[in-house]
Amino acid sequence: MAEKVSNQSLLTWFLQRLSGLFLAFFLFTHIDVNHFLHQGMINFGVVSERLSGSFGWKLYYFLFVPFCIFHALNGIWAILADYRPSGGFSVFTKAVFWILGLILTIIGALTLTNLFSGRG
Amino acid sequence: MAFNNMFKNAIDDTNRNKNIGTFAYLFHRITGIGLVIYLILHTYVLSSAISGKESFDKRMGFVQSPLFAVLEVFLIAGVFFHMLNGVRISICDFAGLTKSHKLFFWIEIALFAVIMIITIILQVPKMQSGYYPGM
Repeated sequence: MAEKVSNQSLLTWFLQRLSGLFLAFFLFTHIDVNHFLHQGMINFGVVSERLSGSFGWKLYYFLFVPFCIFHALNGIWAILADYRPSGGFSVFTKAVFWILGLILTIIGALTLTNLFSGRG
Repeated sequence: MAFNNMFKNAIDDTNRNKNIGTFAYLFHRITGIGLVIYLILHTYVLSSAISGKESFDKRMGFVQSPLFAVLEVFLIAGVFFHMLNGVRISICDFAGLTKSHKLFFWIEIALFAVIMIITIILQVPKMQSGYYPGM
Protein backbone atom coordinates (compact mmCIF):
# COMPACT_ATOMS: atom_id res chain seq x y z
CA MET A 1 0.00 0.00 0.00
CA ALA A 2 2.63 2.48 1.07
CA GLU A 3 3.83 4.49 -1.89
CA LYS A 4 7.40 5.56 -2.08
CA VAL A 5 7.68 9.23 -1.24
CA SER A 6 10.53 10.99 -2.99
CA ASN A 7 13.11 12.66 -0.78
CA GLN A 8 12.38 15.95 -2.47
CA SER A 9 8.68 15.81 -1.55
CA LEU A 10 9.62 14.95 2.01
CA LEU A 11 12.07 17.84 2.16
CA THR A 12 9.56 20.37 0.79
CA TRP A 13 6.91 19.08 3.20
CA PHE A 14 9.32 19.54 6.10
CA LEU A 15 10.42 22.98 4.89
CA GLN A 16 6.75 23.99 4.62
CA ARG A 17 6.25 23.07 8.29
CA LEU A 18 9.50 24.76 9.33
CA SER A 19 8.82 28.00 7.43
CA GLY A 20 5.24 27.90 8.73
CA LEU A 21 6.41 27.83 12.34
CA PHE A 22 8.77 30.73 11.68
CA LEU A 23 5.92 32.63 10.01
CA ALA A 24 3.68 32.04 13.02
CA PHE A 25 6.15 34.14 15.00
CA PHE A 26 6.80 36.68 12.22
CA LEU A 27 3.15 37.25 11.29
CA PHE A 28 1.99 37.45 14.89
CA THR A 29 4.54 40.21 15.52
CA HIS A 30 3.83 41.91 12.19
CA ILE A 31 0.07 42.09 12.77
CA ASP A 32 0.52 43.01 16.41
CA VAL A 33 2.79 45.95 15.60
CA ASN A 34 0.93 47.23 12.52
CA HIS A 35 -2.72 46.59 13.36
CA PHE A 36 -3.01 46.24 17.13
CA LEU A 37 -0.34 48.35 18.85
CA HIS A 38 -0.22 51.03 16.15
CA GLN A 39 -3.66 52.60 15.79
CA GLY A 40 -2.90 55.60 13.57
CA MET A 41 -2.29 55.97 9.86
CA ILE A 42 0.65 53.98 8.49
CA ASN A 43 2.70 55.97 6.02
CA PHE A 44 6.27 56.20 4.75
CA GLY A 45 7.40 58.28 7.71
CA VAL A 46 5.98 55.90 10.31
CA VAL A 47 7.47 52.81 8.68
CA SER A 48 10.90 54.22 7.88
CA GLU A 49 11.18 55.71 11.38
CA ARG A 50 10.57 52.28 12.88
CA LEU A 51 12.88 50.47 10.46
CA SER A 52 15.73 52.82 9.60
CA GLY A 53 17.45 52.87 12.98
CA SER A 54 17.00 49.28 14.02
CA PHE A 55 19.17 46.36 12.95
CA GLY A 56 16.69 43.99 14.58
CA TRP A 57 13.79 45.10 12.41
CA LYS A 58 15.96 44.98 9.27
CA LEU A 59 16.99 41.40 10.01
CA TYR A 60 13.39 40.55 10.88
CA TYR A 61 11.97 41.79 7.56
CA PHE A 62 14.78 40.41 5.41
CA LEU A 63 14.01 36.97 6.87
CA PHE A 64 10.23 37.44 6.91
CA VAL A 65 9.85 38.29 3.20
CA PRO A 66 11.65 35.23 1.73
CA PHE A 67 9.99 32.91 4.27
CA CYS A 68 6.57 34.26 3.22
CA ILE A 69 7.25 33.87 -0.48
CA PHE A 70 8.63 30.36 -0.04
CA HIS A 71 5.71 29.26 2.14
CA ALA A 72 3.13 30.75 -0.26
CA LEU A 73 4.49 29.23 -3.47
CA ASN A 74 5.45 25.92 -1.87
CA GLY A 75 1.94 25.74 -0.40
CA ILE A 76 0.30 26.26 -3.80
CA TRP A 77 2.67 23.67 -5.25
CA ALA A 78 1.63 21.19 -2.52
CA ILE A 79 -2.04 21.70 -3.45
CA LEU A 80 -1.29 21.10 -7.15
CA ALA A 81 0.82 18.03 -6.30
CA ASP A 82 -2.23 16.51 -4.57
CA TYR A 83 -3.87 16.21 -8.00
CA ARG A 84 -1.00 14.17 -9.44
CA PRO A 85 0.09 16.49 -12.24
CA SER A 86 1.96 15.10 -15.24
CA GLY A 87 5.75 15.41 -15.44
CA GLY A 88 5.62 18.19 -18.04
CA PHE A 89 3.16 20.22 -15.99
CA SER A 90 5.28 19.79 -12.85
CA VAL A 91 8.47 20.98 -14.52
CA PHE A 92 6.68 23.95 -16.09
CA THR A 93 4.92 24.97 -12.84
CA LYS A 94 8.09 24.64 -10.77
CA ALA A 95 9.95 26.85 -13.26
CA VAL A 96 7.17 29.47 -13.16
CA PHE A 97 7.09 29.42 -9.35
CA TRP A 98 10.88 29.79 -9.07
CA ILE A 99 10.83 32.78 -11.42
CA LEU A 100 7.80 34.30 -9.65
CA GLY A 101 9.46 33.75 -6.26
CA LEU A 102 12.66 35.37 -7.44
CA ILE A 103 10.78 38.40 -8.84
CA LEU A 104 8.77 38.79 -5.62
CA THR A 105 11.95 38.52 -3.53
CA ILE A 106 13.69 41.21 -5.60
CA ILE A 107 10.65 43.52 -5.36
CA GLY A 108 10.53 42.86 -1.61
CA ALA A 109 14.23 43.57 -1.15
CA LEU A 110 14.02 46.84 -3.14
CA THR A 111 10.93 47.91 -1.18
CA LEU A 112 12.63 47.18 2.14
CA THR A 113 15.83 48.95 1.11
CA ASN A 114 13.83 52.07 0.24
CA LEU A 115 11.91 51.97 3.50
CA PHE A 116 15.10 51.37 5.50
CA SER A 117 16.90 54.25 3.87
CA GLY A 118 14.37 56.68 5.31
CA ARG A 119 14.71 58.87 2.22
CA GLY A 120 11.57 59.82 0.31
CA MET B 1 -4.10 14.98 -15.12
CA ALA B 2 -6.73 14.97 -12.43
CA PHE B 3 -7.59 18.64 -12.24
CA ASN B 4 -10.88 18.14 -14.13
CA ASN B 5 -13.07 17.34 -11.14
CA MET B 6 -11.04 19.05 -8.43
CA PHE B 7 -13.88 21.13 -6.96
CA LYS B 8 -16.43 18.32 -7.27
CA ASN B 9 -13.95 15.93 -5.62
CA ALA B 10 -13.30 18.38 -2.80
CA ILE B 11 -17.04 18.70 -2.11
CA ASP B 12 -17.54 14.90 -2.33
CA ASP B 13 -14.64 14.28 0.05
CA THR B 14 -16.06 16.75 2.54
CA ASN B 15 -19.50 15.16 2.31
CA ARG B 16 -18.09 11.68 2.88
CA ASN B 17 -15.98 12.68 5.88
CA LYS B 18 -17.92 15.19 7.93
CA ASN B 19 -15.26 15.36 10.63
CA ILE B 20 -13.59 18.26 12.38
CA GLY B 21 -10.32 17.34 10.65
CA THR B 22 -11.85 17.56 7.19
CA PHE B 23 -13.23 21.02 7.80
CA ALA B 24 -9.96 22.16 9.37
CA TYR B 25 -8.12 20.84 6.28
CA LEU B 26 -10.59 22.53 3.93
CA PHE B 27 -10.40 25.91 5.70
CA HIS B 28 -6.60 25.61 5.85
CA ARG B 29 -6.56 25.29 2.04
CA ILE B 30 -9.08 28.06 1.41
CA THR B 31 -7.33 30.52 3.76
CA GLY B 32 -3.97 29.47 2.31
CA ILE B 33 -5.02 30.28 -1.25
CA GLY B 34 -6.58 33.55 -0.07
CA LEU B 35 -3.39 34.55 1.74
CA VAL B 36 -1.25 33.90 -1.34
CA ILE B 37 -3.51 36.23 -3.34
CA TYR B 38 -3.25 38.77 -0.52
CA LEU B 39 0.56 38.45 -0.43
CA ILE B 40 0.75 39.43 -4.10
CA LEU B 41 -1.62 42.41 -3.58
CA HIS B 42 0.38 43.40 -0.47
CA THR B 43 3.60 43.30 -2.49
CA TYR B 44 1.97 45.47 -5.17
CA VAL B 45 0.85 48.10 -2.62
CA LEU B 46 4.14 48.23 -0.69
CA SER B 47 6.38 48.14 -3.79
CA SER B 48 5.29 51.72 -4.43
CA ALA B 49 8.01 52.57 -1.86
CA ILE B 50 10.49 51.91 -4.68
CA SER B 51 9.19 55.04 -6.45
CA GLY B 52 9.44 57.03 -3.24
CA LYS B 53 7.55 58.52 -0.34
CA GLU B 54 4.77 60.22 -2.32
CA SER B 55 3.57 57.20 -4.29
CA PHE B 56 3.84 55.02 -1.17
CA ASP B 57 1.73 57.39 0.90
CA LYS B 58 -0.83 57.73 -1.89
CA ARG B 59 -1.29 53.97 -2.29
CA MET B 60 -1.19 53.36 1.47
CA GLY B 61 -3.80 56.09 1.94
CA PHE B 62 -6.11 54.30 -0.48
CA VAL B 63 -5.93 51.01 1.44
CA GLN B 64 -6.59 52.62 4.84
CA SER B 65 -10.17 53.69 4.24
CA PRO B 66 -13.10 52.44 6.39
CA LEU B 67 -13.93 49.84 3.72
CA PHE B 68 -10.46 48.32 4.04
CA ALA B 69 -10.78 48.31 7.85
CA VAL B 70 -13.74 45.94 7.34
CA LEU B 71 -11.85 43.80 4.82
CA GLU B 72 -8.89 43.59 7.22
CA VAL B 73 -11.06 41.72 9.73
CA PHE B 74 -11.44 38.93 7.15
CA LEU B 75 -7.72 39.09 6.39
CA ILE B 76 -6.76 38.81 10.05
CA ALA B 77 -9.28 35.98 10.52
CA GLY B 78 -7.69 34.11 7.61
CA VAL B 79 -4.19 34.71 8.92
CA PHE B 80 -4.92 33.55 12.45
CA PHE B 81 -6.98 30.53 11.44
CA HIS B 82 -4.21 29.40 9.09
CA MET B 83 -1.54 30.14 11.71
CA LEU B 84 -3.23 28.41 14.65
CA ASN B 85 -4.26 25.42 12.54
CA GLY B 86 -0.73 25.13 11.18
CA VAL B 87 0.72 25.20 14.68
CA ARG B 88 -1.88 22.60 15.75
CA ILE B 89 -1.03 20.12 12.98
CA SER B 90 2.69 20.65 13.62
CA ILE B 91 2.28 19.95 17.34
CA CYS B 92 0.14 16.88 16.63
CA ASP B 93 2.59 15.51 14.04
CA PHE B 94 5.92 16.29 15.64
CA ALA B 95 4.97 15.60 19.27
CA GLY B 96 3.04 12.43 18.44
CA LEU B 97 -0.25 13.84 19.72
CA THR B 98 -2.37 12.99 16.67
CA LYS B 99 -4.85 11.14 18.89
CA SER B 100 -5.68 14.42 20.66
CA HIS B 101 -6.13 16.44 17.47
CA LYS B 102 -9.77 17.21 18.25
CA LEU B 103 -8.90 18.62 21.67
CA PHE B 104 -6.21 20.77 20.06
CA PHE B 105 -8.74 21.89 17.46
CA TRP B 106 -11.06 23.27 20.14
CA ILE B 107 -8.13 24.97 21.90
CA GLU B 108 -7.30 26.49 18.52
CA ILE B 109 -10.87 27.73 18.05
CA ALA B 110 -10.91 29.23 21.56
CA LEU B 111 -7.67 31.16 20.89
CA PHE B 112 -9.01 32.18 17.49
CA ALA B 113 -12.18 33.53 19.09
CA VAL B 114 -10.22 35.59 21.63
CA ILE B 115 -7.98 37.06 18.90
CA MET B 116 -10.98 37.89 16.70
CA ILE B 117 -12.81 39.64 19.55
CA ILE B 118 -9.71 41.80 20.14
CA THR B 119 -9.40 42.39 16.38
CA ILE B 120 -13.01 43.54 15.99
CA ILE B 121 -12.75 45.84 19.03
CA LEU B 122 -9.64 47.47 17.52
CA GLN B 123 -11.00 47.63 13.96
CA VAL B 124 -14.43 49.15 14.68
CA PRO B 125 -13.15 52.72 15.24
CA LYS B 126 -11.23 52.50 11.93
CA MET B 127 -14.40 51.38 10.16
CA GLN B 128 -16.18 54.52 11.30
CA SER B 129 -13.56 57.16 10.65
CA GLY B 130 -10.76 55.55 8.67
CA TYR B 131 -7.30 55.58 10.13
CA TYR B 132 -6.68 59.24 9.95
CA PRO B 133 -8.96 62.28 9.94
CA GLY B 134 -9.10 63.84 6.51
CA MET B 135 -7.70 60.91 4.58
